[in-house]
Amino acid sequence: MPTISFFQKNFEQLLGQSAPLAQLESWLPLVKGELKDYTRATGEIRVELQDSNRPDLWSVEGIARQIRIKLQGSPLAYPFLDTKTRPKRRILVAEGLERVRPYVAACAATGYTVTEESLTQLIQVQEKLADLYGHKRKTVSVGLYRLSRIQFPVTYGLVKPTEARFTPLGFSEKLTLQDILTVHPKGIEYGSIMADQPLLPLLWDTEGQILSFPPIINSQDIGQVHAGDSALLVEVTGTDMRMVLLTLNIFATNLADRGAAIDPIDVQYPYDTGWGKSIRTPCDISDVQKIPLKAIDSALGLPFDAELVQQTLRAYGYEVKASRHTLAVRLPHYRSDLMHPVDVAEDVAISRGYDSFVPAMPAQFTVGSLSSLEMMSDYIRDHMIGQGFQEIFSNILLSHEELVERMRLPASDQVVEVDNVMSQSFSCLRSWIVPSLLRVETASPRAFYPHRLFEIGEVAIPDLSRELGSRTEIRLGIVIAHPHANFSEVHTCLDVLMFYLVKDYELEPLSHGSFLDGRAGTILCQGQSRGLIGELHPEVLENWGISVPISVCELDVDWLCSDSP
Amino acid sequence: MQTKAVFDSLHPLEINLLAAFSQSADKPLSDSSLHDISQLEPAQVSMALGWLQAKKLIRIHSEVITAWVGLTEVGHRYLKIGSPPEWIVRTCRQGAEEGRSFTVKDLQGLNTFPPAELSRAFGLLKKEGAIALGAGGRIEATETLSPTVEKIYTLLQQLKKTRQELLLFSPDQQALLRQYAVKRGSAQEPFRIKERIQREYTPTKTGKAVAKRCHAGTVEEVSQLTTDMLKDGSWRNKRFRKYTITLRPPRVAPGRRHPYREFLDLVKHKLVAMGFQEMRGPLVETEFWNMDALYMPQFHPARAIHDVYFVKTPTHAETIAEPFLSQVAAAHEYGGPTGSSGWGYRYDKERARRLILRSQGTAVSARTLASNPLVPGKYFSMARCFRYDQVDATHATDFFQIEGIVLGEDINFRTLLGLLTIFAKEMAQAEESKFFPAYFPFTEPSVELHVRHPKLGWMELGGAGLFRPEVTQPLGVTVPVVAWGLGLDRMAMVALEVHDIRELFSVDLEKVRTLRGRFA
Repeated sequence: MPTISFFQKNFEQLLGQSAPLAQLESWLPLVKGELKDYTRATGEIRVELQDSNRPDLWSVEGIARQIRIKLQGSPLAYPFLDTKTRPKRRILVAEGLERVRPYVAACAATGYTVTEESLTQLIQVQEKLADLYGHKRKTVSVGLYRLSRIQFPVTYGLVKPTEARFTPLGFSEKLTLQDILTVHPKGIEYGSIMADQPLLPLLWDTEGQILSFPPIINSQDIGQVHAGDSALLVEVTGTDMRMVLLTLNIFATNLADRGAAIDPIDVQYPYDTGWGKSIRTPCDISDVQKIPLKAIDSALGLPFDAELVQQTLRAYGYEVKASRHTLAVRLPHYRSDLMHPVDVAEDVAISRGYDSFVPAMPAQFTVGSLSSLEMMSDYIRDHMIGQGFQEIFSNILLSHEELVERMRLPASDQVVEVDNVMSQSFSCLRSWIVPSLLRVETASPRAFYPHRLFEIGEVAIPDLSRELGSRTEIRLGIVIAHPHANFSEVHTCLDVLMFYLVKDYELEPLSHGSFLDGRAGTILCQGQSRGLIGELHPEVLENWGISVPISVCELDVDWLCSDSP
Repeated sequence: MQTKAVFDSLHPLEINLLAAFSQSADKPLSDSSLHDISQLEPAQVSMALGWLQAKKLIRIHSEVITAWVGLTEVGHRYLKIGSPPEWIVRTCRQGAEEGRSFTVKDLQGLNTFPPAELSRAFGLLKKEGAIALGAGGRIEATETLSPTVEKIYTLLQQLKKTRQELLLFSPDQQALLRQYAVKRGSAQEPFRIKERIQREYTPTKTGKAVAKRCHAGTVEEVSQLTTDMLKDGSWRNKRFRKYTITLRPPRVAPGRRHPYREFLDLVKHKLVAMGFQEMRGPLVETEFWNMDALYMPQFHPARAIHDVYFVKTPTHAETIAEPFLSQVAAAHEYGGPTGSSGWGYRYDKERARRLILRSQGTAVSARTLASNPLVPGKYFSMARCFRYDQVDATHATDFFQIEGIVLGEDINFRTLLGLLTIFAKEMAQAEESKFFPAYFPFTEPSVELHVRHPKLGWMELGGAGLFRPEVTQPLGVTVPVVAWGLGLDRMAMVALEVHDIRELFSVDLEKVRTLRGRFA
């Protein structure tokens, strides 16, 4: 979700009226925006936009536009969408690009002189769209050029990496495309998009001047816009036709809102795009959709009058024709986020204002309950507290060293490990509770003794017989630490617990790396292993930097919830 | 103060002393007579005297300073072997009988007395004519007895058993005692004179009243009531020492719930009271249940390697249950039968099986939707979730999400707002709440709930919305469903007065033992 920055004055210019901060804030729900920051001295405002399906709102122009429409109650007119005049400029797409980066859309913007501030805004939108909406330029990228330097038609074609040379932005000498990918910072950053391509995309004009190497870098002379320029070419390339068209529409509309005249461009493909072979851009990209009024009513919980819905949606930018039971709606050209009638329902609610809806209490009766696992856990927790134990609540990502090596377990012991490790300390899901409690012991030698700790919580056990390759279990872990801690003390705790759980058990001697030999056992219930108990091996204590004896117990909890005796 | 109250506050030693006064008809008594009457140790007497004076139950009646004389260690030695002059005369007489004689040097050589004492003794004997010096410095004992030697002998004998008051001796003797008493500069003397202040005490008016209640030897003080005392009834004759109850008691560590879990317990019980049923799910999930089933497109930016933890091995689940996989795939690609256009991309079924650590609690809700949930039905989970985040004051390695769903024919945007109003009141005691448009990939409309917490002011309490049909229908649910999630950690942190989310899972036992908060 992008956060954008703009100046209050600029916003007011675009809105056509003054907008004190409180007023602006009250409008922000219309764009799902949240005010993050306001600098009174400069009038700089930072707003976070929530809706990742509404890239048209990721600019001061877009925010102002949505509010302007609401204030005037109807959509704005954009004459450049009028298809009657034939564009005088063309872009010709060459064969083969369908396999590399198939789509391009472009328009010219004239009659508006770029200022330092509007240039900053243009670049901000360009970056947000390419980065967040265009998946770091993979799906969509945007180029801005000085129109006066370009001789049309422009060709969008393919060249060999070493064939073409031009001076990329920020450089003073010509480089081949190959060199740009290996030397230029943008080439290094975005080169992976073009990895393994024998031929690379390039835009050049009829005089052979190179505009850019999309989606990597523009040329230094044609592809760098300056404050004071009053004729621009906007070009969008990408791998998804709808997204490419939408992105261009957003740019064209933003520039139109600033006062530019938008001249469409004809793009001619040698292959089908799903939108025909010859496309005039910008263009309307949404179809009229018929939506039963009932769908709006049932989603919002109110019977709506068709006319009211029409009014409400027009005040949010839609084209609407309402009949008695059906709405024929079309999104404005800078949006493409209508997948289902519920999307329209939300826009109705936003346009009306959420505050205008009176909350209704759900009336149907349901029975609340805890899971049997949670109830059993709570029962055991209460019991352990009764025995005088302090409950511990841990984070459950640990290191392999803590779970295995420090516990003197064979390195072959399996735990669920993370592939994209952020830090070795948090690289594994714990496979037992005791190491979590030993973390506490290591950190707490100065807390007065005795330490009687327990935790009931989730562990993950690798298990290839399961669909997910592991199973999540609930375990009880007990740690007793003080200068005379021994097997007998923890055994007593287990014994009392099992008495109140009404479970018979016996201990079977266990040879286990974590424990002193002859002082450890498996907890057997009806022949099933349900846990273990013992005095920790001094080497384990040394590994954890603990200098007090510790006896521990770990008990499975899941089986206690089932009906097995 | 009441006589009884004063009496009750008395220490047994004080009672014994007061009893001695009342036995003696409240006459003035010295500490030695008190010692005799009460049979208490002198130290106990002086302690109790101090206390009683402080309580103004007795006062000093008279004060007499007396000098007492007794033997020093040197004096006791003189008793055994004689004083130096006596020894000199005796040794010389015995020598004469055996035909031997001694010079001063000879006697010094026997090392019986220090030379200084011997020289003083020679001086005295010569002066009193008890010895004479013959040829070659030989000492001859005369027939004359030394009166001083005799007098010292008598005094040593008199003081052999006990100290005596100096005034009881004759002025002559007193002078001799003073001469041979330990003084600064002459430590090796047979006598010691000590001044003693002898006081007599008499009960005050209150003291006399209290003394009437006191009977020596009837009360024994004990600190601990024992089973024996209860069995034989002897507690009746005991006095139980009063404690200084204003002191702090020793510290203990009780058995206790973890404070953050205690908070979550409260939340979970509130949810149950509101008719929610608990659901649970696995820590390791597939991308399918964690994201695809929630209509998050596979190209969604929050699904990248920098947002989610992927499992190392195995990397993929065996299968994803049908018909859910196909139905979800259809919803993503073209909407399937949901009436949606879908996301319009090619759904990757392989990717759906990729194993990750659950990144959002809504995964648990998705599984519940696919398991034939009750209608009407309300569900919640407290799901531990994992995000690929740098650990800091606001990001723990794993954290709990409290989320759930509400299914029902009567579910719509207004009942969603109604439900959130209840949440505001139950979870944050908030009477005021505000709803803002929000965005979640799986809900439409979506709402952010802001509430005015009585202590924290306006805060975001959670997010919610109606599940998109692209979520519910592929999982077999045909009624509208509310999805909600609450962010309660801030409330927990304020109640527990911690400023770092990691402290909710602290490994510092002292911290865990002392963290406390009022959540209700």
